[in-house]
Amino acid sequence: MREADAIHPGPALTAARSLSDYFPSLKGTPGDTPVYVYAGATEGGNVLIIGGTHPNEPAGFVTSVMLIENIRAVRGKIVIVPQANASGFTHSDPQEGSPQRFPIATAAGQRWFRLGSRVTNPIHQWPDPTIYVNPTGQTLAGIEARNLNRAYPGKAGGNLTEKVAFGIMELIKKERIDLGIDLHESAPEYPVINAIVFHENSADLAATAQMELQAEGFEFRLEASPPNLRGLSHREWGDVAGIRAILMETPNASHGRLKGKPSVELIIDGKDKFYEKAARLGRLFVPFGPDGIPLKNRVARHLAGLKAVLSGLKELDPGKAVEVEDLPPADRVRVEGIGAFLR
Amino acid sequence: MDMHRPAEIILTILFFGLIAGSYLAAQTPPPPVFEQPLLVTSAGQSSGDAQIALQLAKRAALAATLSKTGTGKDLENQKTLVLVLGASMKGLGSAGLDTNKEKERIRELVAEAKKKNIPILAMHLGGGQRRGELTDEIINEFLPAAKMAIILKSGNQDGLFTKICKAKDIPLIEVDKSLDAVEPLKKIFKR
Ligand SMILES: [Zn+2]
Repeated sequence: MREADAIHPGPALTAARSLSDYFPSLKGTPGDTPVYVYAGATEGGNVLIIGGTHPNEPAGFVTSVMLIENIRAVRGKIVIVPQANASGFTHSDPQEGSPQRFPIATAAGQRWFRLGSRVTNPIHQWPDPTIYVNPTGQTLAGIEARNLNRAYPGKAGGNLTEKVAFGIMELIKKERIDLGIDLHESAPEYPVINAIVFHENSADLAATAQMELQAEGFEFRLEASPPNLRGLSHREWGDVAGIRAILMETPNASHGRLKGKPSVELIIDGKDKFYEKAARLGRLFVPFGPDGIPLKNRVARHLAGLKAVLSGLKELDPGKAVEVEDLPPADRVRVEGIGAFLR
Repeated sequence: MDMHRPAEIILTILFFGLIAGSYLAAQTPPPPVFEQPLLVTSAGQSSGDAQIALQLAKRAALAATLSKTGTGKDLENQKTLVLVLGASMKGLGSAGLDTNKEKERIRELVAEAKKKNIPILAMHLGGGQRRGELTDEIINEFLPAAKMAIILKSGNQDGLFTKICKAKDIPLIEVDKSLDAVEPLKKIFKR
């Protein structure tokens, strides 16, 4: 059996659950995944944070783990699913030669994090249809049948990926979530990058967060979730569950198409001479210099984004405010590194 | 990636050709020339930028409404039209509009504003990444109709806004960050 990724929740953890607690038919399947709950003493809103929707986008997973190991909820509730597509963490994309894991040094020694595939493991869900019709009725390429971020709002009797999506919708309902945040990364040649993608019900929140981030030196693009692009978290969480929905993207060279040799260094240091060249040729949607875009900066971006979104929620909807303490500060993560905030 | 900038806020206010002789120093705050309520719309369907403009207006305690695809009819009872300049192909697609239809919408809106004597405040809040062929067409066509413009400095690196505003005697307020636009907004609107 594959060893589960080590996550060491901080002392402020309120409850450790599994997605199958919300949707029992996931129990004992490779789609089941840990859920961490942090509840404050004071009533407030409920926020869901999801990492690992795409297990080849490490910043979302690592950011979620840092939250789990550090935060304390003061007001309201935060629910964190660090490895939303758990099956996707059990394999890597074929013919990519990607490392299966990467190390982060901490005071307590070296920690390992899995790098997985964008999609569910074919051993767990096979075969792919020629054309995938997702739960909303939209037709997509066959491989998208294993893409969690096309499977919302899920299907109780569907394929494994659709069941996971359904489980997350059940969690949203049962935890009475008000705002969902899905953490992603995108390739530097992809236009939706360094971005906050928002459901139209969250345009005010996204704009408020973007202005605060800009004032702090983080430039984020605002991208409205296209109403006709279905099955995505930022669409169906809003349309079907009726909650505010936001997705954030940081730039990750290690899953882009223009990269050179895949390596642990590329994941962590984010340096790549081909991306440097592409930047010089004006082919990228983010600046990319010899210093690359290290994982700690991408994680810092997500952390800054989360902080800004939570502060925006408090401003716009004080009754639904969620306040946390000990959120790792973005500027310190950039300087001290990820490991300084892991147990 | 992470653009470090000095913490201090540098706010530069530039005026070109404001009623001759009235303002001697470039830093002089402009008089309140606009009235509430205001209708905010994107010229080019950059819905995020329009939303930023709306939130800025709210922070300045102004009575503002956002209209995605507003027309002249929506100017009823409005005292100011805020045009947030910036084209988004995705936004146009989502709104079921093409470039020409969107320009037609703005032309009608501008004509109706003129007819009703409603002044136009132009804004550009997307910075350098919200420039490009289509956005520039919109800037070139509609910025001259404005009574004043507030823009993010990073969107004016080539001086396009400066050039048009100078030629048309439009006061131009450049800010480093969107939030820096709150104070000027407070000053240019009557309470
Ligand atoms: Zn992703």
